[in-house]
Amino acid sequence: MSATPSVVDRLRAHIGTPGPPTSAVVEAGHLRRFTEAIGDSYPRWLTEAPPTFLVALAPVSAHLPEAEEYGKGWLNGGNRFEYMEPVKVGDTITAIGKVVDVYEKTGASGSLLFIIFETEYFNGHGRLVARLRGTAIRR
Amino acid sequence: MNLQPGEELPDLIKNPTTRQLVQYAGAQGDFYEIHYDQDFARSVGLPGVILHGLLKAAFLGQLVTDWLGERGTLKSFEVSYRGVDVPGKPYRCRGRVSSVNGLRAELEIWGEDPEGNRTTVGTAVVEML
Repeated sequence: MSATPSVVDRLRAHIGTPGPPTSAVVEAGHLRRFTEAIGDSYPRWLTEAPPTFLVALAPVSAHLPEAEEYGKGWLNGGNRFEYMEPVKVGDTITAIGKVVDVYEKTGASGSLLFIIFETEYFNGHGRLVARLRGTAIRR
Repeated sequence: MNLQPGEELPDLIKNPTTRQLVQYAGAQGDFYEIHYDQDFARSVGLPGVILHGLLKAAFLGQLVTDWLGERGTLKSFEVSYRGVDVPGKPYRCRGRVSSVNGLRAELEIWGEDPEGNRTTVGTAVVEML
């Protein structure tokens, strides 16, 4: 047993602890740049956030420097989006994220580190509007 | 509401370019170099710059909301990225209704590369008005 905790153990220590809340206003110009970038011209998105916009307001994943000691690059393994209420231009959205799981898998091409993030997004009335999950992989 | 299991969503074909990846990097605020720096992408074992997973998720979200229109709302969706996709090749988004329960329906959604490999797979739940 090593005296230095492994990267996995150090990352696991973050599980369940919410990160600092971040707030941002949904701006019409940002929404337009986002819908242009994804190539979705549905008219409702002039004033309402399209399904994946919240990741541009506050990322699903937090920056965990110790994860970069593992492997040589990041891959996105998957995302999940749950919606409770629409998000509209002018809304102030507060995001609170946390790590919900960390584990290692060994496959044919070597070892992979999985970090599962969950971020909850609240509107100005304090109501939960969406919950997003992301699987970040170090390889 | 008259959704039937097996109903197919109209395909959504996207033609991502390196320009779009830069545009998306800026709009999302994800500046990881594998999406715009060919040398960096190759140095971490990729074939070159690749599409953001979340850009593919955005395409699949659009597949569902284009089909749904104002008939209902998207309640949730989830996707797994099973393979990398590169700009300059068409990306075909597809889906079908897998089950219907009252006003709610579950969809199977996926994105295919030109060889027909399902490089992104997932599900979505919609609720009809």
